[in-house]
Amino acid sequence: MKTQARQPLQIPNLQEHSAEELKILSLRIRERILQLAHRSKSAHVGSALSAVDVLSTLYFSILRLEDWEQRDIFILSKAHAAMVLYSTLVERGILAPELLSGYHQDRGTLPAHLDKEVAEGIEASTGSLGHGFNLALGQALGFKRQGIDRQVFTLIGDGESQEGSVWEGALFAPKLNLDNFTAILDINRLQGYGRPDEICAYEPQKDKWEAFGWEVFTVDGHSVEELKAAFKTPRTGRPRILLARTVKGKGISFMEDQLIWHYYRVTDEHLELGLKELQTEAEELKSSIRAFEENEH
Amino acid sequence: MRNTFVKELLHEAQDRRDFFVISGDAGLGVFDEFSQNSKDRFMNGGIAEQNTISLAAGMAMTGMKVCVYNIIPFLLYRTYEQVRNDICYQELPVILAGIGAGLSYAPAGMTHYSIEDLALTRSLPNLEVLSPADPQEAKACARYALECKNPIYIRLGKTGEPNLHPNSELQITEPLILKEGEDLTILFHGSIGEEVLKASQELSENQIEVQVISLPQVQPLNTDSLLAQIPPSQKILVVEEHQKTSGLGASLAQKVIQEKLDIDLEFLSIQDEFVHHIRDHSGMRQHYGIDAQGIKAAVLKIREEEIAFKR
Repeated sequence: MKTQARQPLQIPNLQEHSAEELKILSLRIRERILQLAHRSKSAHVGSALSAVDVLSTLYFSILRLEDWEQRDIFILSKAHAAMVLYSTLVERGILAPELLSGYHQDRGTLPAHLDKEVAEGIEASTGSLGHGFNLALGQALGFKRQGIDRQVFTLIGDGESQEGSVWEGALFAPKLNLDNFTAILDINRLQGYGRPDEICAYEPQKDKWEAFGWEVFTVDGHSVEELKAAFKTPRTGRPRILLARTVKGKGISFMEDQLIWHYYRVTDEHLELGLKELQTEAEELKSSIRAFEENEH
Repeated sequence: MRNTFVKELLHEAQDRRDFFVISGDAGLGVFDEFSQNSKDRFMNGGIAEQNTISLAAGMAMTGMKVCVYNIIPFLLYRTYEQVRNDICYQELPVILAGIGAGLSYAPAGMTHYSIEDLALTRSLPNLEVLSPADPQEAKACARYALECKNPIYIRLGKTGEPNLHPNSELQITEPLILKEGEDLTILFHGSIGEEVLKASQELSENQIEVQVISLPQVQPLNTDSLLAQIPPSQKILVVEEHQKTSGLGASLAQKVIQEKLDIDLEFLSIQDEFVHHIRDHSGMRQHYGIDAQGIKAAVLKIREEEIAFKR
């Protein structure tokens, strides 16, 4: 199947988002993920939730998307977290919301891992780990060699970075001067069946990437302020990686840092409890924004 | 043919700014001039084959025409999933130039042979596969690959193969007749053509005239144009430097059944085993009975059986 040439997307222009607004967007994305996981009875809700704030920061604050033909690229390398990408793309006006109802369904619209042929905005067909990172490096190299000013971002998982291909790419990227490339490592410290540092010599990640010649930032992967600051730091000619310390299942108290939420399914009860938590948090955020604005006046 | 292919490729692409070559730490001498003169269009991808293939796919996603050059097991086997997911699944027109087809690296050892590569490529639906017989076909392959809109794999030998065609003005996607003959057709791909032609000349001396056809494009397999060259009910002997279960012969046999073709097929190829013999290239061909003498013997046996059957 080869999709026909698509029209360039017209997506909404954005005003600069405040940190509070980004947090509210993140909560909406988490709601969508919870609903998707519930309706489709699919796994990987924990992996999607840990990456929400990285994606909301990228899509609402960092990626240049307005000129679609010359847009910046984001490749979700840990594509088992596809729900976070689909939800963010809908929230950003790139993906049609009606496509979500066919996620992970028979005769559906969106597969559990990514197929770039199914919709504009899905930049690469990923799912097997240790591919998207290197595809993204290739794109960054391609833009660089052609003198095209486009940035490439990719999100990899901490389990994923056990793949040899990641370390092959880590060795070569600094030699290629890929200062248009940024990787984000989602360190949620839980993979399918254990913790990375329990099953291999995982840490120290910072030392490893620095030793390979990368520009390394360690950030709280749920702090939109820290993420934004790292993304916006002027480049020094080297490829960049953000070590994003995250919590698997972030935002839903009973899912946080629990191994089972790599695979567990969201029941009616989970959904109800989870949505309630997210809504309470959103209300609190909104009222603090209102209080702040009233103070300002 | 390896050097001829690369020379032609680099010559034809000399003015293309979108063209880029990644070598897998291979090609000493072959890329020296290009890598010096076109530093921004050449990269030694090192001994990091997975990264190399994904990198090539990523560059192709930005509109570049990338050729990856490596020894076949490291180009295709090590990276099967990268070739499958990143190049073929995403339908990117990357050129995979593989060297050391068949047993041409003997006695390098089994790790360096490629006698089952077509088993892998058969499972990749968007991939085109070319297996040139001589430097002239290799040249035509290079020109075709540069224009090809699909992912493409070229199965190249090494060096020193003689020219079987007078020039490279060849329809590389069509069966290429190297010798006429009514008694039987030998169909082959790759550098084994040298042995096939030698056998056919010796058979001529015995008044047996075989038709010799080179089929460089082994995937997709166009049986229509092939059958147009073969008289009905004539026996075809498929000769290839590849394992029996998964080569051109096997693909053709499947077509014969699926399309109910009136073809009588025989195979002469390498038996399915891991190679432990320590022989040079021609010694290996002799061992597996795919050298000129082995081919000649196979044809004579078929002729004897046909005569016995008619009695």
